[in-house]
Amino acid sequence: MSNEVMTTVRARSPLAEAWDMFVRNHAAVAALIVLFLITIGAVAGPYLYPTDPFDMVWSPFSPPGEHGFLLGTDYLGRDLLAMIINGARVSLLIGLAAAMVSIFIGVTIGAVAGFYRGWVEEVLMRTTEFFQVLPTLLFSMVLVALFGASLAMITFAIGVVSWTAVARITRAEFLRIRELEFVIASRASGAGNAKLMFTVILPNAMPPIIVQSALMVGTAILFEAGLSFLGLTDPNVVSWGQIIGSNRQYILDASYTVTFPGLAIFITVLCISLIGDGLNDALNPKLRQR
Amino acid sequence: MMKHLVKGMIVSTVLATIAAGHALADDPVRGGTLITVLGSNPRTLNGAVQSGIVTGYPTAQLFASPLRYDEDWTPQPYLAESWDVSDDGLTVTLNLVKNAVFHDGQPVTSADIAFSVEVIKANHPFKTMFAPVETVETPDEHTAVLKLSRPHPALMLAMSGQLMSILPRHIYGDGPIEAVKTHPRNNENVVGSGPFKLVEFKNGEHVILERFDDFFIEGRPYLDKIVMRIIPDIAARTIAYENGELHMGAFESNPQMVNRLKKVDGLEVTPEGYGAIGPLDWLAMNTQRGPLKDVRVRKAIAYAVDKNFIQKALMQGTAADSRTGIHPDSPFYFREVEIYDVDLEKANSLLDEAGFPMQDGKRFDLTIDFGWPGVKPQVEYVRAALKKIGIAVEVRASADFPTWAKRMGEMDFDMSWDTVFNWGDPVIGVHRTYVSDNVGKGVWSNTQGYANSRVDEILALAAVESDAEKRKALYQEFQTIIADELPVYHTNTLPYHTIYSGKVGNPPLGIWGTSTPIDMTYLKD
Repeated sequence: MSNEVMTTVRARSPLAEAWDMFVRNHAAVAALIVLFLITIGAVAGPYLYPTDPFDMVWSPFSPPGEHGFLLGTDYLGRDLLAMIINGARVSLLIGLAAAMVSIFIGVTIGAVAGFYRGWVEEVLMRTTEFFQVLPTLLFSMVLVALFGASLAMITFAIGVVSWTAVARITRAEFLRIRELEFVIASRASGAGNAKLMFTVILPNAMPPIIVQSALMVGTAILFEAGLSFLGLTDPNVVSWGQIIGSNRQYILDASYTVTFPGLAIFITVLCISLIGDGLNDALNPKLRQR
Repeated sequence: MMKHLVKGMIVSTVLATIAAGHALADDPVRGGTLITVLGSNPRTLNGAVQSGIVTGYPTAQLFASPLRYDEDWTPQPYLAESWDVSDDGLTVTLNLVKNAVFHDGQPVTSADIAFSVEVIKANHPFKTMFAPVETVETPDEHTAVLKLSRPHPALMLAMSGQLMSILPRHIYGDGPIEAVKTHPRNNENVVGSGPFKLVEFKNGEHVILERFDDFFIEGRPYLDKIVMRIIPDIAARTIAYENGELHMGAFESNPQMVNRLKKVDGLEVTPEGYGAIGPLDWLAMNTQRGPLKDVRVRKAIAYAVDKNFIQKALMQGTAADSRTGIHPDSPFYFREVEIYDVDLEKANSLLDEAGFPMQDGKRFDLTIDFGWPGVKPQVEYVRAALKKIGIAVEVRASADFPTWAKRMGEMDFDMSWDTVFNWGDPVIGVHRTYVSDNVGKGVWSNTQGYANSRVDEILALAAVESDAEKRKALYQEFQTIIADELPVYHTNTLPYHTIYSGKVGNPPLGIWGTSTPIDMTYLKD
């Protein structure tokens, strides 16, 4: 980036320009602030509110706001607030990590396919299509069921079923950019394939990938919640989906035990979507003329 | 044609109404279709080759057994109008009713009894039921004489309920004995001599039975038809009961469902009727692994786990206390054994004594397994409870039931939540958990690796003791030892409930739940 800043001395930095565009989307800014607060809560929360989420601290099903428990207690008498705070960490972490896994797979495959074309592209894109038609939730359930419900496995299972969109976007960008003059110029001045792919084309293909990735974090959080809801989760860590999943049979007696973690998921995923929307505004060059 | 049919129906309905009007409140009424439910798809309808409560309900209607039991654990005549056990306990003579016929009209004879014993010995998972039966002699068509290698008091219960379906030899005897396990007529065109015959078994949807008019008990069954809908989802079943779509269902153990249906007008919810099924929930501890080898550690765990919390909070008051490997409803149950009321101080000192001192709030690690989602709260509770005495418990999830069953069978676990059934006599369902020659033989064997030569001895004696009082004394000693050595910590009964609408007269509330003929059940109009 610093290189680019140097070369575009007179124009405004593209980053600043993008930020301007982003700030114009008020919803996205609000979402960014909320998500920032949630992240702070996830990181610092366990120190500020040190109740162990697995400790039974009170009698079961104490309603919210009574006996000093802001969100009440669940079926084992565990503090729901402590569970949600600790669950934020896991849910966000899985969301981020899974998105990273799928971006890594997707970008690699998309870049190679779009750059080399020919039979390489054929093979890779048919593979992508194969993964695309697999029912994603079922496939990840099978993976988790086969290899055990550890956090790493769940992250991997989510990542491995959701990379196809990234791969296709990356390939499309590569197909477009590889024919542009500056790429041809770099090639003519002797840049190798790897250099062309990762330092010439990829940075220019990034905007749509970034938007897609932001959205993917939200999807991954939802995905994890879905798996947890079905019981495919590491029982030794708390996540929002897991709180909902294990409390769902008490929904008629104590609906708040699923409402609060549900709200947490809802707000977080909404924020991420809004931010993704804002990023789209900011990074899409076609909108700049608006 | 249609008109006549409709007319006929109206007339018969009117007649039935009049007949019912005359009947006293408690007088059974003939006719009607009973809509009931199965919680999962039965693998087979033939109880001679398969155990399990889902098979038990249809098989007990389709096939008659030699005996049946009343609610006081007293054997009653069924296919056998009388029976006789010799003084040495080695000969059991069954005198069959003369008028019993199979659904295809062939008479039930002693040869069918002999054949069925062979089939059950070869195919049924409960090997101890008929193991001592060496031969079945058939001196005449209506007399079967079971010759035993040793006295076997458990035989009486093993000849009742769903455990001894009498199969027609002329249908099921067309191949090798072992082949009956997968006989095509286990699921369709089933032929038995029970009160109902099979109309249709549609996988995943329903089992439909209709009255067998030539049933050997005059005037029975009362019902014309039984529909068993297959509804695996608990919420869907709850709603079906609430809406009155089901007349009756048995083996319901979900506390939320039970408590919710108790409040519904017109529905009766009762835990009665499962004494012989004898379902027990417990915390299994692998006595061959790590710290759990030490009985003091197992006792410390018992002192830290609050049964009361499990019964009151997790089971929401639906489950009863259980203290030993024998179900509290069994005549052999002995409740004056050592109990472990929560006492964290005692638990801590036991662990100190056992050589596991507390270091930085922790003594050692253990894992706990669970085989189905319904018991996850119990497992999570144990984890939280043991943390208080410095045992860090990791919960291991199993992908599915077979994964868990395999871990249990191979004794690859520290602790696990488990549910095991008594199945009538202790010889059938209790001994398997505690005798040392059944260690690690698959799920629901002695998966705890427990070995105590005195227990082996007592159980061997109890298996052959014909005198009821002496037998009781033996089981009393057994239960005392088990409660003291804790290969498993008994927490509660699994709260099976029967749910039936006020329209159902005489629901099956004996000792076998619905794993017994319901020829006496009727529908009030």
